[in-house]
Amino acid sequence: MNSEKVIFAFFIVLALTLNFGFFLGGMDDPAHHNIYELYAAIVVSLISTVLKVGDRTHLGAVFLATSLVADLQLIAAAFVWGMTEHIANETLGGSALGTVVSLSGGALLANIISVVLLVSDTITIRR
Amino acid sequence: MSNLFYILFRRLRSPLIVLIIVYAISVIGFVLIPGVDDQGNPWKMSFFHAFYFVSFMGTTIGFGEIPYAFTDAQRYWVLITMYATVVAWLYGIGMLLSVFQDPIFRQSMKNNSFSRRVRNIREPFYIICGYGDTGLQLTHSLSREGIVVVVIDVDENRINELESDDFVSPVVGLCADASQSEILEMGGIKSHWCRGIITLINNDSVNLTVAIVAQLLNPDLRLIARAETPEGESNILSFGANEVINPFETFASRLALALRSPSLYSLYDWMTGKPGEQMQEPPALKRGLWIICGFGRFGRALYAHLDDEDVVLRVIESNREVRDLPSGSVIGRPTEAATLIKAGIKEAAGIIAGTNVDANNLSIIMTAEEVNPDAFRVARQNEDKNAHLFQSAHLDMLMQRGQVISNTIFALIRTPMLGDFLRIVSRFKNDKANELVSRIIGVVHDRVPELWEISITPDETPALCDVIKKRQVLVEDILHGEELSEKYAKEKHIAALLLFLKRGEGNVLLPENNRIIRPGDRFLMCGTYDARRHMLRVVKNINLLEAALTGEDIPAGWLFRKIYEMRHKSTIDQMLTSNSEKAGSEVDKTEA
Repeated sequence: MNSEKVIFAFFIVLALTLNFGFFLGGMDDPAHHNIYELYAAIVVSLISTVLKVGDRTHLGAVFLATSLVADLQLIAAAFVWGMTEHIANETLGGSALGTVVSLSGGALLANIISVVLLVSDTITIRR
Repeated sequence: MSNLFYILFRRLRSPLIVLIIVYAISVIGFVLIPGVDDQGNPWKMSFFHAFYFVSFMGTTIGFGEIPYAFTDAQRYWVLITMYATVVAWLYGIGMLLSVFQDPIFRQSMKNNSFSRRVRNIREPFYIICGYGDTGLQLTHSLSREGIVVVVIDVDENRINELESDDFVSPVVGLCADASQSEILEMGGIKSHWCRGIITLINNDSVNLTVAIVAQLLNPDLRLIARAETPEGESNILSFGANEVINPFETFASRLALALRSPSLYSLYDWMTGKPGEQMQEPPALKRGLWIICGFGRFGRALYAHLDDEDVVLRVIESNREVRDLPSGSVIGRPTEAATLIKAGIKEAAGIIAGTNVDANNLSIIMTAEEVNPDAFRVARQNEDKNAHLFQSAHLDMLMQRGQVISNTIFALIRTPMLGDFLRIVSRFKNDKANELVSRIIGVVHDRVPELWEISITPDETPALCDVIKKRQVLVEDILHGEELSEKYAKEKHIAALLLFLKRGEGNVLLPENNRIIRPGDRFLMCGTYDARRHMLRVVKNINLLEAALTGEDIPAGWLFRKIYEMRHKSTIDQMLTSNSEKAGSEVDKTEA
C-alpha cells in the first residue's frame, strides 16, 4: 500500500462525494443545498487539482484537465451565489439557485470522469 | 516549456496545499464564529466577507475589521490565522525563490530560451561546437559576414565570455556537451535553416562523436571538423565530414608549398586570407638544412611534408623517450645554444620552433637569431594570449593553430567550392600556377582578392534566371566591376576572374569568359570588392542587368517601358540579334 496513492484517491473521491451531496436535491429548493457543502467541495477540488499537477503522463494530463474543469464550475457557482446575496442583495432562490446547482452539476460530471479514470487506472495495474 | 512547468509545480505542490488548507480553515472559522453588527445585533460573516478578510489579512495588507468591529472571539481567531497565513505565504514564496535558484531549473530555463532562440532563427546559420581560441576567431569572422552562429561549449566561462562579447549578427550560445544528440537537436541541427556544423573541440574523439551524431541526425548537413592527429583526421573523414582541418598538417603543407612553389603558396594564402588587405610577397625560403625543434604532432607533420621537398632535415628533441626519431636527430634542449650549434644552426637555412610550450619556442628563436641571423625563423604559437610576444619577436613565419583553422574554415564556409578548387590547384605545375597568380594580380592589383560564389538559381539570381530563359548570356557580360554610369557597357572594365565552374557533375577549372551561362551553374569568382558587390546586385536586379547587357537604360515602370519600347523597338532588336549571334557562334564545351 502506498500512502501517496491513498491520499490521492481520497481527495479525488471526496471531491466527487461532496460535489454530489451539494448537487442532490430539488433545483429550486434552497434548503437542499448547503453553502458549507459547496465550500468544502471547492476546497477539496482545489487540493486535488494541486495533487494532480506535475504528472507528465497522458493520464496525468487528463486528470488535471478534469480537475480544472471542476474548479472552474464550482468557483463560478460560488461567484453566482456571492453576487446574488451581496451585490443584488436578494436571498438565494429561483433562477440564481438553478444556475448555482446546474453549475455544480457540471462540476459533478467532471469529477465523475476523474473517478472513472482513477478506477480504470487502478484496474489496469494487476497485483 | 512543459519541462519547466512540471519542475516548478512538483516543487510547489506542498506549499500550495498548505496555503489552500490554511485559507480554508481560516475562512470557515470566520464564517462559524458569531459576531455582532454596529447595532449590537448577532451577525455572522458570510463566506464572501470571510474570504475578503482572510485575503487581505494573509497578504498582510490589513484593511482593518470589516465590515463591523470584531468581537473578542473573532479576534482570537484572527490572532491564530494571521500567523498561520503569513507563514503559509512565506513558505510558498521561499520555495518559489529556491526553485528559481535551483541549478537544474536554471539550466533547463537556459536550455529553453536557447532552443526558443534557435527555433526563431529565420536565416541560414551555422553551429559551432567548441568556443576556444579557434571558435572565438571563427565566430567573429562569420558574424562580421552577417552569418548567424549557434555556439555550444561545455565550459561555462567561455559561454559567459560569449554573452559579454559584441557581435555584428546574432550569436546564440549554450553551455552543454555538444556530443549529446539532444543538445545538437536543440542547437537546430535538424532545422532547414541550418547550413552546417563545425566542430572545433580540442579533443579528436569528442569531435568524432559530434561528427557521428551530426551525420546520423542530418546526413545532408555540411560538416567541417578539426582534427589534430592523422588517425583522427581519417576517422572523422570516414564519417562523412566534408572537410577535416588538421592545423599541423595544414601549416606543414603550406610551408612545404612555400619551398616548392611560391606561386601556389601565394594562391593558398590569398584564398584563405582577409580580402582587401595588402598582398604579401611569398616568403623566400632557401633549400638546405632545416632544423625542427620538437618532434610531437607538429614536428612529425613538418618532417613528413618537408621530407619530400629536397631539403636536409634535422630534428632536436629533448625527450629521450620519443620513439621513431629520424636518424641524425639531436637529443638535447633546443633552448640552449650548444644544442642548436650541434644540430648545425650556423649553416642552417631555417629553423622551426615547434614545441608545445610558448616560452621555449620564443627562447629557441631568440637563441637561433644570435647564432645565425640569416636563418629563416618559424615559430609555433600555442596560446592566444601570447600573441603580442610572438609579434614582437620578428618572426619570418608564425604558426597560430587557432588562426590556421579559423581562416581555412571561414573561407570554406563563405565559398564552399573553394575546397574542391584548391584540391585541383594543388596539383598545378609551377608555370601554370604562375600564370594563375599573374591573372589574379591583373584583376585585383595589390589587394588580397575577394572570393564569392554565384549559383544560377531563381532564389539567388532571379534576374539572371529570367533573362537566360529568353536569350543566351555570356559570362563576360556580367563580369565588369565598375559601377554603372552613363557609359555602361561601352567601357567594360573586368575586375573579376572566373576561377571554377560546376555544371552538373562536371567541373571546369578557369573557364573562358565567353561561356554561356546555364541554369544550375555554380561559379566561383575572385576579384575586387566592388566587382563582387556590383555582380551580386546585377544578377538580382532586372533593370541593372538589362542595362548591363544592352547598354541601354530601360525604364523600370510599365508605362515608360512601353513608351521606350515603342520608340526603340528597332534598335533593341538589332542589339539582341547581334548578341545572340555572337553567343551562337561559340561552341560550348564542357570538360569533365
